[in-house]
Amino acid sequence: MPKKAVWLIIFFTLLFIWGINSGELDFVQNLGNTICLNCIGVG
Amino acid sequence: MVRLRTLVQTLVAFGTNAYLLFPFGGSVIYQGPLKAVCHPGLNCYSCPGALLSCPVGAVQNFLAAIRFHAPGALPHPGAIVVGYLGFIGTMVGRLPCGWLCPFGFIQDLIHKIPVRKFSLWEPLRWVKYGVLAVLVVILPLVLVDSTGLGHPWFCKLLCPAGTLEGALPMILLKPSLWVTLGVYFWNKITILTILLILMVFISRPFCRMLCPLGAFYSLFTRMTLVHLEFIEGNCVECGACTRKCPTGVKPAEEFDSPECIMCLKCLDACQFRALQFGIRRPPAPEKKRAVSPL
Repeated sequence: MPKKAVWLIIFFTLLFIWGINSGELDFVQNLGNTICLNCIGVG
Repeated sequence: MVRLRTLVQTLVAFGTNAYLLFPFGGSVIYQGPLKAVCHPGLNCYSCPGALLSCPVGAVQNFLAAIRFHAPGALPHPGAIVVGYLGFIGTMVGRLPCGWLCPFGFIQDLIHKIPVRKFSLWEPLRWVKYGVLAVLVVILPLVLVDSTGLGHPWFCKLLCPAGTLEGALPMILLKPSLWVTLGVYFWNKITILTILLILMVFISRPFCRMLCPLGAFYSLFTRMTLVHLEFIEGNCVECGACTRKCPTGVKPAEEFDSPECIMCLKCLDACQFRALQFGIRRPPAPEKKRAVSPL
């Protein structure tokens, strides 16, 4: 396996875990639970 | 392989948009725990059937909410989404574009309409990197409204998946939204209409020109864990792979192209096994030449 890919996979896994531990999961959940008015073109 | 890919695309498109309770009261969109997970492709989370969140929308909203100077503002940079997308990108590059993206699937279906086909002007490939940098990263970070928060400008100005999967079903289900629609809506309807027409004549125009998610995944195509390997000795230069490629890649000339969505049509087209799909092998170390003594 190429070393660069392995290091990147480790880096992004750590980034993902950091995101979960810092509470970002709730942010994504809340975001998904509201209707995206920007997507609809309101405004 | 073509049938398998169509089957996977169909299952993913319908499976991730399988919330069927929206016509029966309650919330118009799904609000369960699955919304904490992002879709690996472009899929509007305001689609009434959507079970997952949109990764591009999530990144923009994270960036739009970063205000270090404001008390109570979110300090989160969106590490969870960048980590998730970066992990996928490093593992398989743009494979989600070819196999998992519902909007890519829509483009594939529309392109089946039997009319004369055209190729895309190649420099337009670079526009998607501008869309990623400006509409997804810079503008949500920099432009703030009166409340001090940014906006998801890609969703607001451009995203045709949001218009098709989110806006149109939503205004049909909630007619009260009609009065709130403004210039942004008509701008997005115009963009969607132009793209729908282009899809008939050009293969995957949105993925190749404008998709910020494809642009992000393509940053990793030269270092992905799996890739398409070209075996020069087997190639007879018949051009069958190039003719089949939906994104205009020449597999025999452009190795690990950032445009390759790993649909593997070229693999089917090649009768001489000049292309192989598998885990990337590390480059062989160069052998030192023995220096002959004078």
